[in-house]
Amino acid sequence: MSASFPTAAASPVAAAAPALRVRDLSVRFGGHLAVSSVDLDVPAGRISGLIGPNGAGKTTTFNAICGVITPTSGQVELGGDDVSKLSTHQRARRGIGRTFQRLEVFSSLSVRDNVRVGLEIRQSWSRRRAAAPQFLAGGAELSADDEVALIIDRLGLVEVAEVPVGSLPTGQARKVELGRALAARPSVLLLDEPASGLDEQESVEFGALLGTLAASGLAILLVEHDIALVMRVCSELSVLNFGQLIAHGTPEQVQSNAAVLDAYLGGGGNDATAVERAAVDAGVNVSDTSWSGPGAPS
Amino acid sequence: MDKFLTFTIAGLSSAAIYAIAASGLVVTYTTSGIFNFAHGAFGMMAAFTYWQVHVAWGVPTIPAVILVVFVIAPIFGAVIERVIMRGIEGASDVVKIVVTVSLMVALLGIAQVIWPQNVSRPVPPFFEGRFVELFGVRVPWARLMALVIALVVAGGLKLLFTRTRLGIAMRAVVDDRSLLQLNGGRPGRTAMLSWGLGAGLAAISGVLYSTEQTLSAITLTLLVVNTYAVAVVGRLRSLPGAFLGAVILGLAQSYVTGYINPGLTIGPIALGNLAAALPAIMLFIVLLVQPEERLRAHGVERPRNPIRVPSQTVAIVGGVALVVVLAALGSLMSASDLVLVTKGAGIALVTLSLVPLTGYAGQISLAQMTFVGIGAVAMAAWGASGSPLAVVLVVAVCAVVGAVVALPALRLSGIYLALATAAFALFCTAMFFNQQTIIRAGSVQVPPLSFGPLSINTDFRQLVLTAIVFALLGNGLVWLRRSAWGRRLTAMKDSPVACATLGLNLTSTKVGVFALSAAIAGAGGAMSGRTFTADSFSLPASLPVTMLAVVGGIGSIAGAFIGGMLLGAIPIASTIFAANAIGIFRFVSLPVTNVLSFTPGLMGISLGREPDGAAPQIAVGYRAVGDSPPALVVSAAGAVALWVATRVGVITKWSFFAALVVFVVAVVPLLPLILTPRLPEDQAEPPRRVACAIWLALATIAAVLIPWATAITSNGVRVLLVLVLAALSARVAIGVLGVTPEQLRRPLPPSPDLIGVDRPLSRADAIEATHMMGLTEDEFEAEVSRAGADVAAAPVGALR
Amino acid sequence: MTQDAAAPLLELRGVRAAYGSIEVLHGVDLVVPPASVVALLGPNGAGKTTTLSVACGLMSPTAGSVHVAGRDVTGVPPEVLAQKGLTTIPEGRGIFPNLTVRENLQMATLAGVGIKQVEEVAYGRFPRLAERRNQIAGTMSGGEQQMLALARGLAVDPAVLLLDELSMGLAPLVVEELYGIVAQIAKEGTSILVVEQFARTVLGVADIAAIMVHGQVRRVGDPTTVEQELSAAYLGG
Repeated sequence: MSASFPTAAASPVAAAAPALRVRDLSVRFGGHLAVSSVDLDVPAGRISGLIGPNGAGKTTTFNAICGVITPTSGQVELGGDDVSKLSTHQRARRGIGRTFQRLEVFSSLSVRDNVRVGLEIRQSWSRRRAAAPQFLAGGAELSADDEVALIIDRLGLVEVAEVPVGSLPTGQARKVELGRALAARPSVLLLDEPASGLDEQESVEFGALLGTLAASGLAILLVEHDIALVMRVCSELSVLNFGQLIAHGTPEQVQSNAAVLDAYLGGGGNDATAVERAAVDAGVNVSDTSWSGPGAPS
Repeated sequence: MDKFLTFTIAGLSSAAIYAIAASGLVVTYTTSGIFNFAHGAFGMMAAFTYWQVHVAWGVPTIPAVILVVFVIAPIFGAVIERVIMRGIEGASDVVKIVVTVSLMVALLGIAQVIWPQNVSRPVPPFFEGRFVELFGVRVPWARLMALVIALVVAGGLKLLFTRTRLGIAMRAVVDDRSLLQLNGGRPGRTAMLSWGLGAGLAAISGVLYSTEQTLSAITLTLLVVNTYAVAVVGRLRSLPGAFLGAVILGLAQSYVTGYINPGLTIGPIALGNLAAALPAIMLFIVLLVQPEERLRAHGVERPRNPIRVPSQTVAIVGGVALVVVLAALGSLMSASDLVLVTKGAGIALVTLSLVPLTGYAGQISLAQMTFVGIGAVAMAAWGASGSPLAVVLVVAVCAVVGAVVALPALRLSGIYLALATAAFALFCTAMFFNQQTIIRAGSVQVPPLSFGPLSINTDFRQLVLTAIVFALLGNGLVWLRRSAWGRRLTAMKDSPVACATLGLNLTSTKVGVFALSAAIAGAGGAMSGRTFTADSFSLPASLPVTMLAVVGGIGSIAGAFIGGMLLGAIPIASTIFAANAIGIFRFVSLPVTNVLSFTPGLMGISLGREPDGAAPQIAVGYRAVGDSPPALVVSAAGAVALWVATRVGVITKWSFFAALVVFVVAVVPLLPLILTPRLPEDQAEPPRRVACAIWLALATIAAVLIPWATAITSNGVRVLLVLVLAALSARVAIGVLGVTPEQLRRPLPPSPDLIGVDRPLSRADAIEATHMMGLTEDEFEAEVSRAGADVAAAPVGALR
Repeated sequence: MTQDAAAPLLELRGVRAAYGSIEVLHGVDLVVPPASVVALLGPNGAGKTTTLSVACGLMSPTAGSVHVAGRDVTGVPPEVLAQKGLTTIPEGRGIFPNLTVRENLQMATLAGVGIKQVEEVAYGRFPRLAERRNQIAGTMSGGEQQMLALARGLAVDPAVLLLDELSMGLAPLVVEELYGIVAQIAKEGTSILVVEQFARTVLGVADIAAIMVHGQVRRVGDPTTVEQELSAAYLGG
């Protein structure tokens, strides 16, 4: 795939080779293995979800993929090319875009300027006039100003376009981050909790927007706590726990996976003996420490 | 062999002093996160205090050393921590650097006031005349003593930091301040102790130096600056690394002194000063081999006060106004005043060079005067005819030099750029500006520019030229700030990691802006048309420039001008107040010029409380004037009338000065209130406005009529009275009017902290709030629907 | 501490707390009776950690009060509370990563216990720490780091122990081991307030469970009944 990957060109079906392929990725912080041997395939034209409890290593995985931290081991391939040795900005030029869990907006600039900076940075290294992405004006050629205006419009930020991002509520600032990333025209988009701060209605609209983006050929990897949104938009899910992949599959498969439920509610399910022993030691009378679903007899 | 041994031992003994000084630097940096640029000044103060106690007051050596090293210095360090450093915890790198640099400048000034330079102060060496034979080399006891002390310090610090609870707590506070509290420790006390310890170590090195050097505040301070290079070997955090660096530097300097013939030259550069330049060279080499700093994503803080970018129209009007005002004032001045004001305007050009670098990109440079020097020297060499083309060439050279200097440091964090530029300043002073072949007899005359038949050969023309150049460059910078590149710089300052993930090469962008800054500073030198001494390109000359630029408010062009004028005002004020002294009940009589010598440092230290600088605050007072055309017209007309009256000799220059101060301070800010009140509810009643206008007119006329020139003989008293009159006039006028200018301020965009206070809550705010509380939508809906019925049945919060 | 036996060891009364002007605790009432384990549960961002920060003195409440053994300690600095027997193991790893194991234990003595006693208890309970006493704490595994943190809680023999997210990022077996120890500490008479996301594990050791939502304690009760409601709260099912 070419570096700037004109997203309009790729059809969702032609995703035989994944746009982003991660192999055996491990990140160690001191003695703590934050990410352990993770494999991910993110195909173009689809939304893949990466979920897991707090501290499972999702953001660390993102950081390693885009080169913000150096992994202990592992490979990151983009459109078939190994980018593991490249710096953050070089990877970005190869087509990785992202948003951040903790906002990294340009808070003293207006919404319009945030998006514009994304576009201008792309123009500073890419002289080529690629067609605009499919989701904007159907891929027609656009002037820079029009492209910025369209992105702002698509994200529903028109009313706040001239407001400094530092004074926006989190939900809107997250959209600004997304718009800025889109202005750089990535082929792979990593989204770290983009929907936190949106209400239910906005979340539905946001899901539809993600769908449009994916349909235009973008490969999206989504980390999100809004499970309803994840289940709705993702075509496949990977579940991370303690830095390891514990499940992978369609949302339906993952939802009924016992290990996943354990990961979310606590690890008593597979080996409860220690807890029970502790409970008995403590003189607490607990009849059943293993989890039972809602409505199940306890 | 004897020679080698001699120089090895000499090298090791200076390595010992470096090691002691550097370990103090490392101790304070690791335990407080603040790199103490004033460490050398601490050592210098200790050396002078030791001279005072030991030589002047005759206290015997050992009690004197104990008093200075173990009592005075640690208390001084602890007080500095408590009073100054604790306030800048968590501030930006730029503020931390500027505050400690200011402390250094202030201490330099204070030392020169307490211990004037015109007296020689020899300090007798320790164990004078006692030697020991080592491998056939006679080694003075004092040298051995330095080595022993360094070893004791090394061992003592190792013990302190690994064996004592206090030392371990000092390390723990760096790891996790609040966890130390949860353990029962007191981080504040730990920080004071570590600053006390750092100051004690600085004092040891200072006292050891004092016996080897003639006591000079600047020399002593700069000697300890050499230890920056030593500390960098251990990435500023490792004590063994610092000791290793000390040994390398000490030996290298000693061998260079011993084996390189001072007459040797490379091209025009004599190597006689190579030993002095070694620390800088070493610092650059160490920076080059450091691995690139990691990017960090830790969330963006919301800005306190986003600086408004002026429109190009405002910038053009401002530029024209600046040129007109400076020309008008200049035409009234005496020749000697004109020289000073012209120099001040020249300095404003240098502070302007920091606007893109520090203001837009958040980087710092401590070597702006060095670039001025390069510009001045290059212009003297290549542009003797004053051709503007030569200026272009000189500016290009400065840009390239700037880029090369900044490259190694820009891969690292802000503190390293400050260190690298400081080292560059020291290097250039030793290897370039102090070379007879380059600057003969210690001063360089920059040829005045000439544009065809028009030669800038008078001070007045130079002033106007400087004002025009400032206005043009200022407009250029405003244009730049509004361009794609300017937005990118601001973006990079806000979030480097986001820029990198968008594909921005951070290093090349920073190098670009540093080159621009060096080019502007170089232009300031090339177009100055004045004589510089080699001293004015040194590090101590650059520090106040950076400091006052930040104090003035580096985010804006106006701030740069204020900063430059503050610095330019000090020599002016020194002349005005030459005969005055501040007396405190006859006990102390401090000449005002002395007070002025450490004022810039104190202004810099005050930055800890107001990190945005002065310009935004001043702007608030005058912004309304710009929005009110009648007020603008009256302001301009009043100023012009005063100028004309003075020019034709109707009023004296002192009357002009007094009237102008009263007019600018008291009349102008109130004009919009009197002429065009905009807010109906704040508006004063018409009778009050008329009364106020009459009062202000009377005050201005009084300022004109008072016979300043004849009734008062002292300049100091005159200036003081003028300021009092201005302040009184303003205060009374506000009282008459019943409204203050602040109430006319434009509403700022709502702050996120004030949601619900200054604007009604929106739906998005409510949703965000519930999300912050962790309520999912379902629960939220459920809660809302249940709320009415369930209030009584709400679960009790606690078991009782 | 001459209050009657029934007085709770730790009590929060109507505590409100805010970051800037955004209030995150809207009147929290919470009681930790003597010799009991209270589990404070709730979804992400409910205000659990903030509640703990107020309880240990790191954060001052904007309203309400904190009582330890019946005394009002609102506004007392955290180091003083630590010395009076209120020990907190904060979220993440409650250790100093750049200090050795032994140096970490030495920091525990700031609360007023001798190093001998600290080492005895720590190495006795966690022999693995004894093997690693000179290792830099940050280079140990997550479980070992958490053991070190817990060792401090054990060694200083506190009256009240506050634990925040002991399980974060740890393997289930390690979490179980750690909670086994928490249970033993409780048995020895220490009152414990545990904040957890991993609801099920902690319910095994808790006497009382409190669910926190929206900056308030919504539900206090028997752990087993509370567990039922929890699963609903987390997956929204």
